[in-house]
Amino acid sequence: MTDAEPFEAFVRRYQDMVFATAVRLLGNVSDAEDAAQTVFLRAFERYSQLAGHPGAGGWLKTATRNVCFNHLSRYRARWKFFSELDASDGETYESTLESQVSRALGIEAADQHARLEQAIRNLPDHQRVPLVLFHFEELSYQQIADTMKVSLAKVKSDIHRGRETLRRLMTDDARR
Amino acid sequence: MHEDSDELETLVDRELKRLPAPRAPQTLLPRVMAAVEAWAQRPWYTRAWFAWPLAWRIASLAPVALFVYAVWAWRVPAPPPTVVAASDASRAVWAALIEPFLPYIVLVVLLMGAICAAIGLALNYVLLERAEQR
Repeated sequence: MTDAEPFEAFVRRYQDMVFATAVRLLGNVSDAEDAAQTVFLRAFERYSQLAGHPGAGGWLKTATRNVCFNHLSRYRARWKFFSELDASDGETYESTLESQVSRALGIEAADQHARLEQAIRNLPDHQRVPLVLFHFEELSYQQIADTMKVSLAKVKSDIHRGRETLRRLMTDDARR
Repeated sequence: MHEDSDELETLVDRELKRLPAPRAPQTLLPRVMAAVEAWAQRPWYTRAWFAWPLAWRIASLAPVALFVYAVWAWRVPAPPPTVVAASDASRAVWAALIEPFLPYIVLVVLLMGAICAAIGLALNYVLLERAEQR
């Protein structure tokens, strides 16, 4: 297969971006890996158009969001069920995260960051997804409302509640 | 209230922007490449039509083109005599209601095909351009 080598370089270049978007939207490592794989397969199908195209990164971001939305709507019931169980099998989001962050930062800061990431993950879907889209993906409230097909007021209220939860955590951290 | 909300937005935004981006696990790349390899090994006829080999794409268009040409040139094969005898009424209906409009019907079908192709190309272009602007 002649496209394999350049495509591998393409995946290497964008895998962190795709995975970061997916794991924050889905809040789960294995789902994020599934989503990233789906996104890269779609990219491979149209690799002749994407290779070297300056819009490839944007295309991947949009594709990742769409795959994550599909996943959340399709598996929402199942996801909620499993999220209520304590994840104790194999690699967890927290363990991956803490090991990554600890390498780059001091233990205390890494701990705070890991707790914050964990708090984002623990938010319910309807708060986490718009919050991630606003703060990490830099979509406007209106764009988020359009994307999620909900009212602007609901988006603002859900994001506000999510922020309140995160603020409580940050305040607790500051008191320690 | 509004000021508090803005303050909260700024505070959370600042803290979240400080978070290091999660990195892809090392298992992702081999997993993607294995899936791509499996996908590439699929037989050509299970892929999207646009991904078929050029010769097969052309070959698949030939029957459609022939059919259109046959209809256009009135070379649709005549039914067997027994059927013809039994279908005088339907032939009359055909001649009265459909025959006069046949060229227009063919034209409309061809136009619709062309419009669908144009919309597909335009969407493809617009999506890539939008992705580029983000």
